[in-house]
Amino acid sequence: MSINVLIVDDSSVMRAMILKTLRMTGLPLGETYQAANGQEGLDALEQHWIDLAIVDINMPVMNGEEMIDHIRENLEMKDLPVLVISTEGSKTRIERLQHKGAKFIQKPFSPEIIRDTVKGITGIGANDE
Amino acid sequence: MNEKLNDILSRVAVESLEKLAFIFSFPEEDNGDMDYDSAAAAGVSFTGPFSGSLIITISRQVLVELTSNMLGVNDGQETTPDQQEDALKETINIICGNLLPFIAGEQAVFNIDTPEIIAGADAIKNAVTDSDGRKPASSVKLDIDDEQCALFLFGDIQVVGGLVE
Repeated sequence: MSINVLIVDDSSVMRAMILKTLRMTGLPLGETYQAANGQEGLDALEQHWIDLAIVDINMPVMNGEEMIDHIRENLEMKDLPVLVISTEGSKTRIERLQHKGAKFIQKPFSPEIIRDTVKGITGIGANDE
Repeated sequence: MNEKLNDILSRVAVESLEKLAFIFSFPEEDNGDMDYDSAAAAGVSFTGPFSGSLIITISRQVLVELTSNMLGVNDGQETTPDQQEDALKETINIICGNLLPFIAGEQAVFNIDTPEIIAGADAIKNAVTDSDGRKPASSVKLDIDDEQCALFLFGDIQVVGGLVE
């Protein structure tokens, strides 16, 4: 079993870093998609089967929190696992995201925290085929 | 407070550069002027319990290394100027996001704007030097393999239950 992942971040360098890190972890990746803001992310979710959305918070056009709100309001996507990877350091805001069902990792991150968090929210094992 | 702010700014910057891109840096005592002709710079503004901006200046040689390490490109492979600017903006964004909770406390909520590149030696110099009573609340210099990196924190910085050890 492999997972299709959508990475939403306005920094192309950060998207590449996250993708590189995911590949390093040994998690069984299927298709990967990228978007530069929340609106592009929602468009990608409409067009492709996605098992996990990795979302930044501060982005132009539509920020990550708004994107998560749209996901949770959509009957077809409301249960999608969402992992927020952001510079956000406010516990107040992090708790708000967690109440919306998102897991949170602060930048900069280590491959291990990405691997363990993705395994935890998708229920997938690193050695699954 | 200035000395404590400087200590926290340098500590957060050193840790962020190391975790983000395996760049090892050390706080530098020498406060000689940086060569802005061979430097790149980016800044980010924030609003919240207090407002201000954080600016990074870094030698272009280090920026190339920073970008290569972030992207994981092999020796000999080149990164583009766009990638280097993107890497620098992401770096200042990460340093700012990690710095503010140390100063204002973990419950404080800040809105951090989109980082912007400061282009050209004159613009960089104007952005970071004291003028019209505008003086950084904190500034630190880091040594990275004999190359320079400097950070400048501007604003009416108020310690609100922060400065976490």
